[in-house]
Amino acid sequence: MNTQAVRIRMPPKTLKPRHEQTTVAAVDTSVIKIGETATGALIAVRGASIMKQNKRYHYTRLGPFIFHITEENKHEVYNMLQRTYFDSSLNPNHHGCPNLQQMPTRLASLFERWLQSMLARNTKNGLILFDGSLTAGTPDTPIQIMRQILTTARKGGNTVLAFSKMTTLRVNGRLITDLPLENEPPYLLEIESLRPKAPIALMGDVYVAKLANGSYAFRLDIDREASAEGKIRAVEQLLGNDLLSQSYPETLRLAHIFCTFTANEVLAMQHFTTRRYGLRLVNRPDMHSLLFGPFGRGEYYS
Amino acid sequence: MKLYKKEGNVLQILSFSNESAEKGDYLLVEDAEAEKALIVQVIDVQFASIPGVLEELLRTLPDGGELMQGENFDPLEIAPHITYIQDASLLICKIRATMQNDSLSPSSSWLPSRSQSTVKKLPLPMLMKLAKVNGNLPIILGSTKDSSLLTIDATALDGGLNIISGKKGTGKSHLSKLLMLSLVGFKATVVVFDLNGEYLSLGTASDGKRNAYYDKVHVLTPSQNFKAALKQINLHVLLGILIHALHLPGTSAREFRRIWKTLQEKDMLTLHDLGETIRIWSCNQHVRDALSSRFHSLINSGFFTDNIAEGTTLEESLFKAKEQGGAVIINLRNTSAIDRQIVVEYVLGRLVESLASWKLKAAFLFAEEAHLYLRETYWDDIVTRMRHFGIFTTFITNQPDTVKENIYRQADNIFLFNFTNEHDLDVVSRAARVDTETVKSIARDLPPHYCLSLGKAVGDFPIVVKIKALDVKTMGETRLFFKDMN
Repeated sequence: MNTQAVRIRMPPKTLKPRHEQTTVAAVDTSVIKIGETATGALIAVRGASIMKQNKRYHYTRLGPFIFHITEENKHEVYNMLQRTYFDSSLNPNHHGCPNLQQMPTRLASLFERWLQSMLARNTKNGLILFDGSLTAGTPDTPIQIMRQILTTARKGGNTVLAFSKMTTLRVNGRLITDLPLENEPPYLLEIESLRPKAPIALMGDVYVAKLANGSYAFRLDIDREASAEGKIRAVEQLLGNDLLSQSYPETLRLAHIFCTFTANEVLAMQHFTTRRYGLRLVNRPDMHSLLFGPFGRGEYYS
Repeated sequence: MKLYKKEGNVLQILSFSNESAEKGDYLLVEDAEAEKALIVQVIDVQFASIPGVLEELLRTLPDGGELMQGENFDPLEIAPHITYIQDASLLICKIRATMQNDSLSPSSSWLPSRSQSTVKKLPLPMLMKLAKVNGNLPIILGSTKDSSLLTIDATALDGGLNIISGKKGTGKSHLSKLLMLSLVGFKATVVVFDLNGEYLSLGTASDGKRNAYYDKVHVLTPSQNFKAALKQINLHVLLGILIHALHLPGTSAREFRRIWKTLQEKDMLTLHDLGETIRIWSCNQHVRDALSSRFHSLINSGFFTDNIAEGTTLEESLFKAKEQGGAVIINLRNTSAIDRQIVVEYVLGRLVESLASWKLKAAFLFAEEAHLYLRETYWDDIVTRMRHFGIFTTFITNQPDTVKENIYRQADNIFLFNFTNEHDLDVVSRAARVDTETVKSIARDLPPHYCLSLGKAVGDFPIVVKIKALDVKTMGETRLFFKDMN
């Protein structure tokens, strides 16, 4: 992200957990390549949403959905999913169809936006947690779609909070999540002066959230349209209604766990595609190992 | 099923949930190109090491250890495939034989093709046919897991040494009764040392009526209908009793021999004269005291008599058994430890005499918990010397460590019931006829009345069999305080 100099607003805002009953909902998706065929690749996408109400977690898991993507069908698959998930008015589609290598992540993003919009529509007066940031204007996240998701969430009385496990934002050369502060968690540290270059747009205000004891802090984006007090209240409600192990909300962690593919599932999906559709998976040789033997993996370790 | 790995004589086979295979099952690993097949037996069933299973299990229990509630929308129905992979099992199998041109050899030196071999279940009747376990004298032991009958040939017990072992209440005595009655059915002579009076009613059906064996079961109760007349006893039999059962020292035994010879020459072999002669015999006082105390032990046992007519029951019973086939049950219930040893020494001595003089052709001896009455040196005697005379023993015990290791090594047939104790499993696994892993793995999981048969009788293919029920009156049940109390 191209930004001007990043500044932090001191002092950090200390938080007090609010224990009034609030629904916490989270969504995440996962994608995996389960094999290659002679003409393309087999990929699987799965999404999970977790809802915490009355101290109980409840999951909804969708998928896996398996796609056989080839050069011939990639446009058709991508556009069809885009049309199905979102209004055509929201799809400027100026980024076009991704190439074959990008297809897995793009399909997963498309699915994730749809799941987020469903969650925004179905949750009332709660907290909606996304994995990542509220940055829009990328091929994965068109501004119109993100805006519609946030608007829908707001109409239902919800606040959207997005947690990023990784960030590239730095202050004085240090990652914003590594800043040495002596304040006692939980607290929020507001990041100012973030002005990304077009077409990138920030749909939320950015914070560093250190919500529990321990060494971890995360970038937290909160819906920009929420009031200043509303933003703080939302994080305090999260503190009072969800477990925060290592500063990361349990609901979001569960969403990730429930959508992630295990090796066992990959085997099962390979079994399924072979049995059901007679697809023959191709074992492409690892050229690095083949050419360089024990030195072939060096670049992965460097 | 797919062949996965071979290490030594252990084969690992990948099996899926729709291909049920259990411990004890036999599989045929057929390599069509090599025109050979391996006959393997499943000795353990493990989960196949599938990557990602731990994660799969962990994520179903994140809600404080309880199963998390939720819905799965799985339009492609992948879940059954996940379960299919997750439930894959690894069958640990022991190679038992190689089959080539319908003949078996114990070789496991070749390697079947991993990709081309087919693995299928081998039905036990087919295995038994291949192993040529059949004959003219069939004994039906019971049913196998695939509901076929396991039939062994009585000749497999002939001339052999057999062990029936298992923990209490698993069905050992039941099998020994089955074997015994089957042998009697084939006109064999059977002698049973019945410690708990379990064999006394073998001639009676469960409804109390006489059964086919009624006239063939001869129960001899020491001191009651079974006595020994002094005049009929050989000196070495009596010396055996005195030395081994009553621990008479060597010097005293030599004096006894002189006394006996003297009385024999005068035709005065009666209990009274023996007692009197010991009393007045000119010898060291300690020797006299030793002889005197042993004499009174013999008298107190009530087993000895001067009446020759009373002392012929054993010979009569053995003679009847020889003619028609029959079982001579030596009822040792309510007999003291010393008297038990006296009786056993006497019976074995007389049996050897009868066999040595060819009055008897051979006898099958069933000895329950033999350590309670068999002297130390008899163990080796039974597997070596007595075997040549024609005494073929079956030991029945729930304490396998009381049977010496060399007995296990020389056993021709072993019938193992359930054992859970590691020490017991260690002991029985020393049998030469089978490997340790098979015994430990299969015997540990045997349900009551199921028996792992090893040895000649089953062509050296260990087979699990549910021992069939017998229509005989049950005796020797443990007396219970709380029985019928509700």
